[in-house]
Amino acid sequence: MKNKIKVFRAMHDMTQEDLAVAIGVTRQTILAIEKGKYVPSLDLAFKISRHFHVNIEEVFAYGEETRTIDID
Amino acid sequence: MKKNTFYILIGCIALALLALFIYSIETRLIPLWIEPVAFVIGILIVYTARKSVTDLIEDERSAKITENAVVRTFQVFWVVFCAFSIGAVMDLLYLPQFSRERFLGRPPGILTIRMMGYFQLGLLCLMIFLYVGFRMYYARKYGDWETDEE
Repeated sequence: MKNKIKVFRAMHDMTQEDLAVAIGVTRQTILAIEKGKYVPSLDLAFKISRHFHVNIEEVFAYGEETRTIDID
Repeated sequence: MKKNTFYILIGCIALALLALFIYSIETRLIPLWIEPVAFVIGILIVYTARKSVTDLIEDERSAKITENAVVRTFQVFWVVFCAFSIGAVMDLLYLPQFSRERFLGRPPGILTIRMMGYFQLGLLCLMIFLYVGFRMYYARKYGDWETDEE
């Protein structure tokens, strides 16, 4: 799951702490989501996108991992 | 109440319970029921105090870390616990012979029922360390110790 939280934060001039307080989570959770260490629940994803007044697809994108298999 | 004050309170309660335990064992002046009751009261105080902590945020990520750590702890623990218990019962009963005479007339051996109980108690205590280990693993996995430029 890829996200643009960092970009939206920069656009709104917000720190991780500001966003965390606004949506009721810890700063570490925002950091973990930004770095892709943690995939947020739908509820949290909607909260984040609504906080930036955008659709959820604009903040989060489902990036499926592709695998290549070599067949000789 | 601040988070650090809460942790200090937990430490004080743990020390008080330990002191009561040692005192009751050494002097035998305290009735046996006091220690378990004190333990329950201590836990109730901790749970009550936890509600008044203002700077301790529990969000879905920390809930997931706890959940995963608990599940993994039980997955490992019940296998070890049952394997040990089955092995101990096998040893006590001299299986596979199923010889009742040998069981009843058995001289004090390596493993007695009391020893088995102590080992099981020890395994229960080890579960705490297992949980802490898994919790640290999942905390790291879900970015608890990540650092950023901010």
